[in-house]
Amino acid sequence: MNYLMTLQNAALQVAQFEIDPKGLAGLGAGLAIGLGACGAALGMGIAAGKALESAARQPELFGKLQTLLLTSIVFMESIAIYALVVSLLLIFTF
Amino acid sequence: MGTHLITLKTSWWAQFWEAFVEKLKGSFGNGNIGEEIRHGILQWKTEFTIGGKDFLLTDAVIVTWIAVFLFILLLIWLSAPKKSVPKGRQFFMESVVSLILSVCKSSGMNEKQAETVAPMVGTIGCFLIACNVSSLFKITPPAKNIAFPFALAFFTIFYVIGISIRFVGVKGFIGSLLDPTPVMFPFKIIDYIIKPMSLALRLFGNIFGSFILMEFLYLVIPLIVPGIFGLWFDLADGILQAVVFSYLTMSYIGEIVEGAEAHKEHAAEKAKAKAEMKAQKALEEKTIQETEAVAAK
Repeated sequence: MNYLMTLQNAALQVAQFEIDPKGLAGLGAGLAIGLGACGAALGMGIAAGKALESAARQPELFGKLQTLLLTSIVFMESIAIYALVVSLLLIFTF
Repeated sequence: MGTHLITLKTSWWAQFWEAFVEKLKGSFGNGNIGEEIRHGILQWKTEFTIGGKDFLLTDAVIVTWIAVFLFILLLIWLSAPKKSVPKGRQFFMESVVSLILSVCKSSGMNEKQAETVAPMVGTIGCFLIACNVSSLFKITPPAKNIAFPFALAFFTIFYVIGISIRFVGVKGFIGSLLDPTPVMFPFKIIDYIIKPMSLALRLFGNIFGSFILMEFLYLVIPLIVPGIFGLWFDLADGILQAVVFSYLTMSYIGEIVEGAEAHKEHAAEKAKAKAEMKAQKALEEKTIQETEAVAAK
């Protein structure tokens, strides 16, 4: 019973602060682009590593590997760009 | 803001240099960055009516016209007199055209189809290059407006579906939708909604993000740094995104054409296997009948 009373008091104290939507939007924007870029960069690093490995193994296939690598990097880059668009949307509409 | 130091023994050049340095120092990181960027993102637009209908004219439309006009002049200069041994400009244009044709063929089209698709894809690529490079001259790029990439992607996906129906027919198109197994049909339908959105958002996100970053740099360090960063963000990124857009268009058309061929092959194989099984069954029945006739005798 005592524990519940202190919890209620704590909640009432916190509820006195008003939450500014701009602040939350800014936080969301930072998180969006940060995590989005993490995933995209990781994926591109793995793809590039495998491409370099197979190019070292068979140097005569280098042209084809280059084309394949650039294609897949473009697709992964666009995922990071979606995250960027969401973060810009959050900043400029709040 | 700042005082002009006028001394008796200085030339015009020294006075000019001092005023310039003072103004430059004042403009580093001055002003409300958020407000100015927000102001830079808003577009210039005007509305007018022709014969009872309302039209909206934005700066994207005007920049598109100017960019396309200038790029057409550049292309006319590039594709000048033709000689049988190409060198210089003709060599450049011929290598570009043969590059487009080779990418089309490696996507899965044959020679004639590649020659039909190449002019359209080249036009889309040149149009996008012209529009994206305009941010190098501090003119707002048209792709910063959300409507431009979406309209282009919408039109492109209709072009892809239409040209592939012309190549392989409606039956071939539906066949490419059912290609490995018919279970994939709803996913391929959703794919045709995702593809234009992906194309549009890739172009919009890259150009808009570069534009905002360059605005920020112009406000904070207006001296030399925007020129260096602008080499990547305005020029290289714009050309790369145009090339990627065209490459993906060619890739989608090639995918449909290959899927139609593969489906036709699968259907032909299935029909052949069925016919063989039928023939074998008929042969078995015949031998059973013969043995029964022999046993009855």
